[in-house]
Amino acid sequence: MPSTDPLSVAVDIGGTFTDVTLQDAATGRAWTAKTPSTPHDPSEAFQAGVRLALETAREEAGRIGRVLHGTTIATNLILEGKGARTALITTAGFRHVLEIGRQDIPRRANLHAWVKPKRPVPPSRVFEVTERIVADGSVLVPLDEASVTRATEACRESGVTAIAICLLHAFTNAAHERRVAAMLREALPGVAITASVDVLPVVREYERSLAAILNAQVMPAVSTYVERLERRIAEDGIAAPLLLMKSNGGVAGAASIRRAPAVTALSGPAAGVVGARAVAAAAGIPNILTVDIGGTSADICLMKDGTIALTQRGAVGDWPLPLPMLDMVTIGAGGGSIARVTRDGALAVGPESAGAQPGPACYGRGGTLATVTDAHVVLGHLPPSLLGGRMTLDVAAAEDAVRKGVAEPLGLPLHEAARGILAVVDSNMVGALRVVSVERGHDPRDFTLVPFGGAGPLHGCALAAMLGISRVLVPPSPGVLCAQGLLHADMRAEFSRSVLPRQAEDAAALDATFKTLAQEAIAWFEEEAIPPDARATTPVALMRYAGQGAELPVPWRGLDHAAFDFAAAHRALYGFDLPEGRAEIVTLRLEAVGSLPPPAAQALPPGRGAAPIGTHPVHLPGGTADAALHDRAALGAGDRIAGPAIITQLDATTLLPPGWTAEALPSGALLLRRD
Amino acid sequence: MTTPRPCNPVTLEIIRGAIRAAQAEMEALIERTAMSAFIREKKDFYTALFDADGVMAVGSNVPVFGDICGPVFRDFPIGTIRDGDLYWYNDCYGSRGAVSHSNDQVFLAPVFVDGQRVAFVMGWAHFADIGGLRPGSISPDATEIFHEGVIIPPTLLIRDGVVNQAALSIFYRNSRYPRTAQGDTRALMASVELGVARMREIAANFGADVLADALAQLLARTRDTVRGRLMETFPVGTHRFTDRIDGDGHGSGALRLRFALTRTPEDRFVLDASETDDQSAGPVNFLMNPDVPGMALGLYFLGGDPTQVVNAGGPRSLDEVILREGSLLQPRFPAALGMRGLTMMRMLAALNGLVSVAGGEAPAAHAAYVIMLLRGTIGGKHFLMSDGLGVGYGARGFADGIDGVYFVAQENYPVEFLETEYPVRLREYGLNIDSGGPGRFRGGCGIVREYEVMAEESILAVRLDGVENPPWGAAGGQSGRPGRVVLNPGLPNERVLKPLSDGNRVVRGDILRIETGGGGGRGHPFDRPAEAVLEDVLGGLVSAASARADYGVVIAGRAIDEAATATLRASRPATRAFHRGSYADALD
Repeated sequence: MPSTDPLSVAVDIGGTFTDVTLQDAATGRAWTAKTPSTPHDPSEAFQAGVRLALETAREEAGRIGRVLHGTTIATNLILEGKGARTALITTAGFRHVLEIGRQDIPRRANLHAWVKPKRPVPPSRVFEVTERIVADGSVLVPLDEASVTRATEACRESGVTAIAICLLHAFTNAAHERRVAAMLREALPGVAITASVDVLPVVREYERSLAAILNAQVMPAVSTYVERLERRIAEDGIAAPLLLMKSNGGVAGAASIRRAPAVTALSGPAAGVVGARAVAAAAGIPNILTVDIGGTSADICLMKDGTIALTQRGAVGDWPLPLPMLDMVTIGAGGGSIARVTRDGALAVGPESAGAQPGPACYGRGGTLATVTDAHVVLGHLPPSLLGGRMTLDVAAAEDAVRKGVAEPLGLPLHEAARGILAVVDSNMVGALRVVSVERGHDPRDFTLVPFGGAGPLHGCALAAMLGISRVLVPPSPGVLCAQGLLHADMRAEFSRSVLPRQAEDAAALDATFKTLAQEAIAWFEEEAIPPDARATTPVALMRYAGQGAELPVPWRGLDHAAFDFAAAHRALYGFDLPEGRAEIVTLRLEAVGSLPPPAAQALPPGRGAAPIGTHPVHLPGGTADAALHDRAALGAGDRIAGPAIITQLDATTLLPPGWTAEALPSGALLLRRD
Repeated sequence: MTTPRPCNPVTLEIIRGAIRAAQAEMEALIERTAMSAFIREKKDFYTALFDADGVMAVGSNVPVFGDICGPVFRDFPIGTIRDGDLYWYNDCYGSRGAVSHSNDQVFLAPVFVDGQRVAFVMGWAHFADIGGLRPGSISPDATEIFHEGVIIPPTLLIRDGVVNQAALSIFYRNSRYPRTAQGDTRALMASVELGVARMREIAANFGADVLADALAQLLARTRDTVRGRLMETFPVGTHRFTDRIDGDGHGSGALRLRFALTRTPEDRFVLDASETDDQSAGPVNFLMNPDVPGMALGLYFLGGDPTQVVNAGGPRSLDEVILREGSLLQPRFPAALGMRGLTMMRMLAALNGLVSVAGGEAPAAHAAYVIMLLRGTIGGKHFLMSDGLGVGYGARGFADGIDGVYFVAQENYPVEFLETEYPVRLREYGLNIDSGGPGRFRGGCGIVREYEVMAEESILAVRLDGVENPPWGAAGGQSGRPGRVVLNPGLPNERVLKPLSDGNRVVRGDILRIETGGGGGRGHPFDRPAEAVLEDVLGGLVSAASARADYGVVIAGRAIDEAATATLRASRPATRAFHRGSYADALD
């Protein structure tokens, strides 16, 4: 547990820069530092950034009470398939379960063109052990330890540095997996070992195998990384523990992350969403739709009543990863997404991206393909220089790219082509925003849109208009919201168990399972040194009608209420329930939260009326207009701006179309309202 | 300069995306709420969107759909259709094969905006049991469509908010699993309702005329693309290809599908399947809607481009499709149709064959997916387990055939799910070694699934094809190796079962092993990189013996014996255009 020392430091490592925020929890005062990232060893920039922030604040390392970090190490290893060389150990007879997957060609794929994604472990590194546990958890074939020894030798010969174990029905009886893990640890010291039950003790062998493999595969790199960070923190005399952001929107201590690093697979995007929640809470807004627009992708999430909703149907890249994670949708649309006209005359935007190199044409680094950012430049949505003057945009290059790539092939005028690119990318994002809202039984008009990421505030008003949303909240620092998220995150962990059919109607058995989960939660609370008064747990049942394949999370009020609560949830989500159906409990989950005191809020000083620093021509559908150009840093609380306007700041640009008004709130956020 | 169309290219892309999103939402609803394992785990369901006249504008990537709306309009003239209506049918003969076996239920609803009809929305799913001869309704024993469950002609199920409960009650009463049928019906109805709401929003947002123009453009785009690629692929003249299924399970022997695609000097494209063999007594007849071959060729020619949609533009790229009544592809009522899947899968391979004989690089043949149905009692309760088994797909000119997949969108039953729900225990589930046809690009491997049956007594139906006539290889690649079905392998009471049969008695403790076939290979096997062969051997997909005999690669321990391999590969066997068991210039 974080000490009572008042300072928190949050570190966000990006591809180019490492951003550090130091905050005094008592006063809410914050200092930021920016330092070039060090991809060969990111912990170098981590240390340099923390030192720089302390210097800026003239503070002592010893006064730091929390070190918070969101890491994309696991994410990148998984997406790029660059994790440790890994083997899988499984039940004899089931060696190809991983290779087969779910035996399907994806619904949206063309069967003639589709190639099965290469598994993170090839069949030549899957080894079998003789054992068999059956559906009720009983042992049909005892574990043959000689077969484990043979598998161990095979692992040694194949030169792996990580091993995943997934045995059939281990989620009902973990004994064999645990024994295999113990034997491997003894025989192969230094090799990362993951038993599936330690990551995801739930039914379905393919998905559980993948979870174990991805976990094992990122374990060596994440462990090394975490150790380095801890060493550097200690070197600098910081006594506070290191807390890392997980995919569930909470933080946890380094020890638990080292055991199950796969829980950080969505660490980065989760931190942003938690930051958006904090920004909304400071503005008194409970219901938000967030859209985090980066260079190549956009992450979209919904939060009602400030509650973080979790899903177990998530995925990372090609792989399903049913660990509890924020219910987020990611699409391949961002500022760098390339617009092109296909051979058959269709306008397509993304998922190909110009990335950081060469980047959009307007960056003048040799890019010639039209991107979403170029479309903004063509339409005058961006001021001529960015990053406080450090970067000048090449408008002619942007126009050239949009003209050649889209306008000419489609026979459209230049500005119409640029608007077309934005309309297509916005409509892709609206589709994803609808998935998290309408599809989950919510009306988007009841929500405030929170756009962030470098490109978010350029799209906020357009997306809101398409969804019928009339309020958009732009965070104080939309480009570096992860730090906000880290500073406001609580500690979170979930403990789950599949329920066997014979237990599902047995109140005593269910209570016993929740007791087991509660003990696991207490052990975790203890490990994280969370004081008793900061601990909270929420029991949840994942339920379905007998025969259905997908479960809904239902807050648990006891077996007597379960069927009723489930039917209500089913109606709310799908529009009907089945009075004749039998509701069954599939999984029990205990969500554990250790609350960390949030930093005090710091109020924006009152404004003296917004004064534009200039004007910039924007090309609107009705014609060209002069938009007022504002410096965000000059705005005070209560200042109002009417669209069309462009509000610039170091890390993002906000586009305020005609018909919208912006107001700087005391919390520092900008609230955009449709007139 | 022509007058601008109501829908510009940008709006077109936006509408296409919105329709795709609506489809995804409908599918998610079905997947999460349907009750039968067939739908929720196996995911045998689809959705589609039609224009105001009922022409398919956005379909799915499964090329088995014919003219869905026509049968409804025949009984309910389009002018009489009203906002809020819901139509339902599964009538194969009454729909000219738009539905091709009775288990598939179609739910169709119109979309109106301001009193104007703008679209139709379809939800479709395979129902687990609708009555008939045996549980599961499809059985190799069936010889008439009446053996295959209740037939629903186009029926008005909802009007003015009133549901035709009597029709539903009759339907449920005819199912051995009425509750599941009811749950699945509710899921489909909710999904169509959702699709109607979404399409209404789209039409309201963009305007009915813009939507209509968008759908027309999507049709034209697909049609033009497919037509253009037909022209590139097929020179003027007649191109022929023949493929075979093993038989109908009632003693027919091999049955041939004979396709001739003619491009006339005037560039008319005529597909003639009339020389296909006569219909058969067993249920392998495939009542092929004339739209289906165009839909299938369309899917092939559209390739993996995500901006393209499969729709009626495919069928429209062909000028004429000639079928012969009384043939396997146009059987006369009331011939049985339940097992048409294997004929349908062969039809897809034969179309690839047409592309191949014209010099195109279409995939080699795939095996037809395999199904097994086990019905019996456990503890006095009846159960029905229908398990779908993946097969190997054909090698492409750019990649190996896909290993161990069933078909588009349809998933397996996980081992841990199967063993919890049904009285079986799996002893093995893996890829079928050496089943993929050797080639520069290897055919996909089939599956091995070995069950120990725990039910006191049960009756097994199985459908596995390509044992006598395995999927062909092309361009020097060899055919896939066949599957088999065997009871109690290696035991004194071992018995090989007929691959297309029903009524097989299975008792507690019996071991049932199903091995499914692999896909055909492409290119000379000696051109396959030795490292790829080694990886297949180490992974258990190819045996060391086959590596040597078929690929000329010698494996010693876990490595390649380079010298021995070079010696073997120096004498390179001759190949010919196609291979099925042996090389041939043409298949018959």
